[in-house]
Amino acid sequence: MGNLLVSLRIVFLIAMRNLTSHRVKSLIVGSIMAFGTMLMVVGTSLLDSVEESMEKVVSSSLTGQLQIYSTQGRDELSLFGGLTASRPDIGEIEDFSKLKQLVEPIENVEAIVPMGVTIATGAGGNDIDSTLADLRRAVDANNSVEVKKLEGQIVQLASLLEDEYEYRAKIAADTEKLEQDLEVLQRVQESDFWEDFDLNANARLMYLDTKLAPLAADGKLFFLRLLGTDPQLFKKSFDRFEIDKGQMIPPGKRGVLLSRRAHERFLKHRVARQLDRVKREIEVEGRSLEDDELLQGRVRRLSRQYRRILFQLDVAETARLDKMLRDYLSEDTPEDDLAKLVEKFLLVDSNNFDERYNYFYENIAPMIELYRVNVGETVTIQAFTRRGYLKGMNVKIWGTFQFKGIEDSDLAGVVNLTDMVTFRELYGKMTDAQQAELEELREEVGADVVTRDEAEDALFGGDAELMEEGQPGELTEGFDEFAEVDVLERDERLARAGELTYEQEEIDSGLALNAAVILKDRDRIKETRSAIEAAIAREGLKLRVVNWQEAAGIVGQLITVIRLVLYAAIFIIFLVALVIINNSMVMATMERVSEIGTMRAIGAPRGFILVLFMLETLALGLIAGTLGGLSGALMIEAAGFYGIPAYNEIVRFIFAGPYLYPHVTWGNVLLAAVVIFVVSVIATLYPAIVATRIQPVVAMRGRE
Amino acid sequence: MEAIVEIEDVTKNYPLGKLVVQALRGVSLTINKGEFTTIAGPSGSGKTTLLNLIGCVDIPSDGAVRIAGHNTSALNDAALTNLRLRKLGFIFQSFNLIPVLDVFQNVEFPLLLQGELTKEERAQRVKEILRRVGLTDQIHQRPNELSGGQRQRVAIARALVTKPAIVLADEPTANLDSVTGNTIIELMKELNATAETTFIFSTHDPKVMRQATRIIRLVDGKIVHDGAGTEGVIEATDPALAGEEE
Repeated sequence: MGNLLVSLRIVFLIAMRNLTSHRVKSLIVGSIMAFGTMLMVVGTSLLDSVEESMEKVVSSSLTGQLQIYSTQGRDELSLFGGLTASRPDIGEIEDFSKLKQLVEPIENVEAIVPMGVTIATGAGGNDIDSTLADLRRAVDANNSVEVKKLEGQIVQLASLLEDEYEYRAKIAADTEKLEQDLEVLQRVQESDFWEDFDLNANARLMYLDTKLAPLAADGKLFFLRLLGTDPQLFKKSFDRFEIDKGQMIPPGKRGVLLSRRAHERFLKHRVARQLDRVKREIEVEGRSLEDDELLQGRVRRLSRQYRRILFQLDVAETARLDKMLRDYLSEDTPEDDLAKLVEKFLLVDSNNFDERYNYFYENIAPMIELYRVNVGETVTIQAFTRRGYLKGMNVKIWGTFQFKGIEDSDLAGVVNLTDMVTFRELYGKMTDAQQAELEELREEVGADVVTRDEAEDALFGGDAELMEEGQPGELTEGFDEFAEVDVLERDERLARAGELTYEQEEIDSGLALNAAVILKDRDRIKETRSAIEAAIAREGLKLRVVNWQEAAGIVGQLITVIRLVLYAAIFIIFLVALVIINNSMVMATMERVSEIGTMRAIGAPRGFILVLFMLETLALGLIAGTLGGLSGALMIEAAGFYGIPAYNEIVRFIFAGPYLYPHVTWGNVLLAAVVIFVVSVIATLYPAIVATRIQPVVAMRGRE
Repeated sequence: MEAIVEIEDVTKNYPLGKLVVQALRGVSLTINKGEFTTIAGPSGSGKTTLLNLIGCVDIPSDGAVRIAGHNTSALNDAALTNLRLRKLGFIFQSFNLIPVLDVFQNVEFPLLLQGELTKEERAQRVKEILRRVGLTDQIHQRPNELSGGQRQRVAIARALVTKPAIVLADEPTANLDSVTGNTIIELMKELNATAETTFIFSTHDPKVMRQATRIIRLVDGKIVHDGAGTEGVIEATDPALAGEEE
């Protein structure tokens, strides 16, 4: 083998000469190798960059670098949502303060943030409900001007509904029920219904509540995925978090912060939301109203939503909008009513879209309820407790928030924030104040001996004793803490909701479902994870530690899936390369039998022939790999310079913003080099071994 | 005289389908250092087989072949290869130059395999042998840029550059015209005289044969003549001379 080293130069020379004298073969094999290398460098660099940016988004908006949760639950933690819309069972961390004391002193831990997710529904009723609520208040306040105004609005609502029900009656088979409904609608529009309204207020209101309100199908139920946490610590720990509207939940105060995305998508007026969507599709996705049929279809459906505007107008507003739109559209067709006008207005085209969009927000939006829930309001939300009972409570909406860089992403809008104390209540754990309140309630209903443990069951479990005293009819809806109180007191409580306070200690001591761990040095995630796991094991806690990717749920796994697909593609390309290289080398061996025999006869050992063949492929691999790797690296660097635009919301979330700026790491290039090396060696091994078996005697045969 | 090739009662069998062809049937001979020997005989007489055995590219089925004292049957592939590299030089009928290397590199090739000389020593040795075969001006040409005679000179230079004990040539003039063939044989003879290298070659050509100091004639795998003179051998050896076509 000593000879081998000395003769390496000549081997290299022969190898290179062979490569250049078989240009077509070298070009084909080289191109495949170069393409494979390029794909590898580009693919792995892109994925690493995506993972890096995703790590930033995910870990700096919700998960932190690590998450701790119970080993006792049936489901895995998925903070960005999993496959089901329901609340997963991830178990409980019974005493967060204990965990905090354990984890906080660990080196490299910056903070540990308590968390817990629950699904709450907000029930706002429909347009008639809210108008009727206003009417009730006006009657109670003896405000006859307001009553008169609301009377007009209700008559108008009834009239609009009557049109709709008449149309339904025409096409429905069973008209009996519809005729009854129409009677109600007509009755409400009659002027004698409103005469001496003050005197019969309660009976009339009852009629409206029970007969009229159900006729407006448009209920106002909305879902909120609520993340209970320590709001102040959350703000400090997650640097992508920022307030959009309103204010942060003040220290010690209770309440909710809505995600801007949820506020815009689920709580905004349907017409405004659709207009926003059309605008976004034109501006961000580059679609055109002129030739995009999907977009045109959207606009046609939008124009049919005119009732959603009309329902919310009182008599004066109706008249005002009628005049405004007539002027705006320069319509002199007196036979068109306002409904027709709004429909025409909403039927936008490519020429007038921007103008009408602005006109809507300047002139129409102030007349309607643009959001179902506004910042500063207190709303009633309900959630199923862990025992399966419905728990209702009032919460103040302090503001809306977003995560920097992923403002537009749906996935980033998956949670709304609330304080830990409110969360525990919705989840089914009582505060001390509630315990006291429960005692009070117990005295009120005359149940005297109930132990503390049973009290909870009694409250949430609807124990027989409580229910017998209350209204049996409530059973179907579970327990409602306001069931027994009258409306005035309810208003008072609504106002008080934002004033409820708690101490820091209350947040820490007690239940959490999971906890985010923020690290000082993000690169030492594995090391710190082990340290935390060791501490947990020492204390014998039934908790597990997962990284941000696992904690993010399906979103975090997306990257793994993409990586698998990429690797599969690379594998196939290199497999093809392997077969082609192998084939061409076998053919080359057959062509060069005489040459190899000569070399062997002259005294070249078998190893020499092996090295010769290996070197040929490796040299080709080196050249092709360098070219491919270099072009891949250049592509990535160019992409990193200009940025790759995210063409839809999911991509925008994955990119952690509207653009991804990828970069190449030496690890990626090295990986590609190693893979191309291995593929070259494997592909050449067989033909090279065949070549070493060629006997020198073949050289002695003439070529006649 | 020192024996460089010793062959004792050698047989060589080749399988040919289901048959076994006996290429050599009990051949014994000794060739001494410095001889200029030709192996003659009609096609299929076993000439090439004998050369292969002497050239250590094949081993006998029976009997013993000793090259410079080494029994080839007792050596493994690596040792045989080494023996070829150190003791033997080859000149092939079809020249068998490495097409991607130029004249200088082709000649240098065995020296590189030996790995004993420095770059300067190698260059000197290669230039010297190329001067002697008259290819000083073609030193950087590739084989495909040379004539047949020039190619065979390169092959001779390559065979001699390592100063081997034996040079084997299998029909070295078969692919050359008669004038060029003569020059090549003249060259070989000259080198044989000056370098004290043993030359063993096979040929059909009686003119070439006459140049040899010893002629060994094979017929059907047996030696029928072994001697210095060509008298009575040529006619009997080569039917072509008697007006027959092979």
